[in-house]
Amino acid sequence: MTLSSKPARILIGKPGLDGHDRGAKYVSHILRDAGFEVIYTGIRRTPEQIVEAAIQEDVAAIGLSLLSGAHNVLFARVIELLKQKDAGDILVFGGGTIPPDDVEGLKKIGLSAVFTPGTPAKTIIDTLRQLLDQQAAAVK
Amino acid sequence: MSSNVIQLVQTVAGQTGAPQTRAAARLMSWLQDDPARLPEILGATAQLPPETLARCSPALILGITGAPGSGKSTLTDALVTQHRLRHPDQRVGVIAVDPSSPFTGGAVLGDRVRMMRHSTDPMVFVRSLATRGHLGGLTLGVRGILHIMSLLGCRLIIIETVGVGQSEVEIASVADLTAIVFAPGQGDSIQMLKAGLMEIGDLFVVNKADRQGAEELHTQLLNVLKLSMIDDSCGPHHGLGIPAEQIDQKPAPSPELGLMRTAGADRPSPQVFLVSCVEQTGLSELAAGLDDLAGRHGQDWRDRRKRAIAQEVRQAILEAIRQRVENTLGSNGTASGRIQSVLEGRQSVAQMAQELLKQSLET
Repeated sequence: MTLSSKPARILIGKPGLDGHDRGAKYVSHILRDAGFEVIYTGIRRTPEQIVEAAIQEDVAAIGLSLLSGAHNVLFARVIELLKQKDAGDILVFGGGTIPPDDVEGLKKIGLSAVFTPGTPAKTIIDTLRQLLDQQAAAVK
Repeated sequence: MSSNVIQLVQTVAGQTGAPQTRAAARLMSWLQDDPARLPEILGATAQLPPETLARCSPALILGITGAPGSGKSTLTDALVTQHRLRHPDQRVGVIAVDPSSPFTGGAVLGDRVRMMRHSTDPMVFVRSLATRGHLGGLTLGVRGILHIMSLLGCRLIIIETVGVGQSEVEIASVADLTAIVFAPGQGDSIQMLKAGLMEIGDLFVVNKADRQGAEELHTQLLNVLKLSMIDDSCGPHHGLGIPAEQIDQKPAPSPELGLMRTAGADRPSPQVFLVSCVEQTGLSELAAGLDDLAGRHGQDWRDRRKRAIAQEVRQAILEAIRQRVENTLGSNGTASGRIQSVLEGRQSVAQMAQELLKQSLET
């Protein structure tokens, strides 16, 4: 991640077997319109594939979309892999059908934000901008 | 030169696994954000031991271009697979460029999604880039990113351009070979007569051979290419790739006929391949054809790359000078005064330039 005013790079992926990508595509679209560079990696990816791609692309954040209920396991696996590869500075945020009760747990394991269905586009964009600004400031 | 840069370059050239990937990815970001840093990276590279540098030279830098929807990414994915099968010990790099929005500056980089099967192959490195306002089909800093991939030891590097169509000729100055990808339904023979893209192709690929019109398109292409200037080093016949001048047994047209093409030993005559990524046909012939060309022209390409890098550094130096003089002209608020002085004939352009240069050195 760089500290310049160049567009921030974000990777969007869907881990596991869930094939419903409308949400992921929607978020990719709004992020593009907000000036981000979105690396869209599609559906049915393993956490290993997502993390490796994220490192190669030197993204500032990874957005994980999951509607199949496997978020606790798979999101945790992504976070774990990032730590293993010394890439824990890459932010992770999630979205999809995530029960409100699980959000706290996800944040505890390291997710910076969780966007449940119905979250307005503006909230997603503002939250991400804020998180990335904080990240940039911390590196300085 | 920052010791951080030196460290990162050494990590890329000397280590493996996650630290190497991370360092390479970081350097690529720097080079895209600030292409003027390339000479710095080259300087750090020059300090590497000779035996390390010896293995940092790609055999082939292949450019893949063509209209949107012609199947460039899918073809790139297939070529990566082919190369991994044919040369299991060799690393492959892919640079995939997609357009930035002229309105928001954002982008969706959606080429990588077609190559995700290679994501956990440690021998494949894929980097997606947005054009960030740059025209011509590539983006600033591509040469720097190519350099980092060379440091990683990539023997084949594929650069996939944006794919806006006829004016994407920048790739020809960066790649050793440029492949133009067509798919059925994208136009007729008149389309193929148009200037631009058709002139920079070293080889042509008709993709989606499984679809109707593919054979016709293949024939039309061959006919159009007959009219091009063809140099006398014809490539051997590989599978479905037929050198244009062999179509109807006539001798090759003399060099005076034909379109503007850079002549010389380093431009092979164009072959046309017919492939289907979906049905997996024609791909091994294409891969074999590329290997063959790389074997025969590799040294010429390496020399050309050296000249190109020197040219790039030259441009960077001139740009740095220009910036400095421009700052002098603008920053002290007398820019309009100076310009007026020239307009009114009190000073000539040459005198003004001299004055500005002198002042730039003093600040």
